[in-house]
Amino acid sequence: MLRTWIARLGPALGLVIVVLVFALLTDAPGRYLSTFNLRIVLSQTVIVALGAIGMTMIIISGGIDLSVGATIALTGVMTALGIRSGWPPSLALVAAVLAGGFVGVLNGMVITTLRVVPFIVTLGMLGIARGVAKWLAHEQTVNVPTTWMNDLLVTFPRQGWLVLPIGVWTTLALAVFVAFVLRRTVFGRRIFALGSNEAAARACGIDTNRLKVAVYACAGCLFGLTGAMQMSRLRQGDPTVANGAELDIIAAVVIGGGSLNGGEGSILGSMIGALVMAFLRNGCQQMGWPNYIQEIIIGVIIVAAVALDRARASWATSHA
Amino acid sequence: MNQRRILIVTLMALVSCRDAPKSKALTIAVVPKGTTHEFWKAIHAGAVQAEQELNALGGDSVHVIWKGPLREDDREQQVQVVEGFTSQHVSGIVLAPLDSKALVRPVEEARAAGVPVLIMDSALESDAMVSYVATDNQKGGELAADRLGQLLNGKGNVLMLRLQEGSASTTAREDGFLKRLKDNYPGIRIVSSDQYAGVTRETAKKASENLLNRFGADLNGVFTPNETSTIGMLLALQDMGKAGKVRFVGFDASQIMVDAMRAHQLDGIAVQNPMRMGYLGVRTLVASLRRQPIERRIDTGVTMVTPEMLDLPATKDIIAPPIGKYLPGG
Repeated sequence: MLRTWIARLGPALGLVIVVLVFALLTDAPGRYLSTFNLRIVLSQTVIVALGAIGMTMIIISGGIDLSVGATIALTGVMTALGIRSGWPPSLALVAAVLAGGFVGVLNGMVITTLRVVPFIVTLGMLGIARGVAKWLAHEQTVNVPTTWMNDLLVTFPRQGWLVLPIGVWTTLALAVFVAFVLRRTVFGRRIFALGSNEAAARACGIDTNRLKVAVYACAGCLFGLTGAMQMSRLRQGDPTVANGAELDIIAAVVIGGGSLNGGEGSILGSMIGALVMAFLRNGCQQMGWPNYIQEIIIGVIIVAAVALDRARASWATSHA
Repeated sequence: MNQRRILIVTLMALVSCRDAPKSKALTIAVVPKGTTHEFWKAIHAGAVQAEQELNALGGDSVHVIWKGPLREDDREQQVQVVEGFTSQHVSGIVLAPLDSKALVRPVEEARAAGVPVLIMDSALESDAMVSYVATDNQKGGELAADRLGQLLNGKGNVLMLRLQEGSASTTAREDGFLKRLKDNYPGIRIVSSDQYAGVTRETAKKASENLLNRFGADLNGVFTPNETSTIGMLLALQDMGKAGKVRFVGFDASQIMVDAMRAHQLDGIAVQNPMRMGYLGVRTLVASLRRQPIERRIDTGVTMVTPEMLDLPATKDIIAPPIGKYLPGG
């Protein structure tokens, strides 16, 4: 029990340190820590955070999904196309979520039936989804008429009582829900079992192939929602958007304590991982540092976070 | 206090910190579409030139921050940069929007938060900006069409490689080029005008190779609408041994293009004045912040440079702006 709490506190401590360092370094700490800036950082985190919720499920199950950035672009374009051709925005949103789920099912089916490793399958899907997105969009950005979809991630929602954009609340609610599912339901515990030891899970009577497809499908639905959010932020479907987002999303999960060997990871950790990167980016900009500095810092933090995690794990086992 | 100092020293060891702006200073953030093109370096130099001149004139000091999107040419990343400067509450932002629509929301939010934005280089579909400082891009395209039309004596097969959808500046050049060719040179046939170069030399070269492979056999003229697409096309022409055999007009100037003009592999470039754009962008925004009258639309000029004009002193200042004077190591 204590160990799991230490494991969860690790990334949180990292987040506090990042925020603190920039608050001390900046000549306008009031501005950096203002609610204004906090809202902006939270809105900016939504895309990576939503993606990271799905990615956490996949990584816990022992898989990986490199196609998430392309799926976001694809579903964003589909949302925009739907709205442009006169669908109600809610229908376009549902279509995007389902399309994301469909991509996930495809990934899962190919992984389980053709026995190709997830890294390769999703690498292929990265190209396919990106290509289809460009094809559907005729290699152009798809502009949409104004609907309530455009307001999902407006930094300052028109309805003042919301305080934060609807997209941020949605992300929080989904994070709590998926965290509950992972920790407290049979489905969730089976995902951990699958990632920890697939052979053992199968021996216990779990249909691992079906479970894998289900995990990729659930995560895909979340990626579809992420795509709709991305469309809302840019107010257009952009088939070239989120290029490389898969690396940010995987980094968020890994900083948050997820293990690429499977069986480990938490939604809370991944959310904190996403926030660490968003605060870093925001802080570096406020300090006026050039982009390459933030890329280097984020690179160092990814490696350091995982190295610390391993050190702590081996310390914990030797003192158990 | 001591801990704070240790932190600062540690980070200073990693990072060469900029001087913090003084309290009364005007902080102007300049946000380009990317940072690696020579075009953006010239804009940066112009912005620094304006900063130095304004500070030499006295009054409140002016501090220019230069920051491009983390991933070059990524709309979402540029949105984040603008949002970051808004929350930092800089005095004003000079922005070259990557997209005429995607940047509308952040620009309007910046204005609502009291941070005025001046748009340069590429249009924004909003009137939330202080002023629009840019090349008359359509005119640039028309100049290129005239040059190519004259070189070909009004007949032949011409290919145009577009840059990227959503980029207002290059789309205006492409449209200006096509319209002028159609209106004034009816004998010229456009064999392809719907392919995109993408934003890097690499993608432009690949697209060019594919197009030349398809249409190269009886091709007479080529037009490309910016630096990377022109260089990509040039490299493809050179690799295929077609450089110098096809009349080629490009856009913007960089050393490799000037060399190609001397080798008569490139027959003309429509040259903007990016340094003047960066300079006027900052000067105009500061003037507006100081409540001086400003123009809502400022044209920074475009010129057709031909190989014969290369050594004229007037040309030299445009094609090789004195970047190094303002940017150390630039």
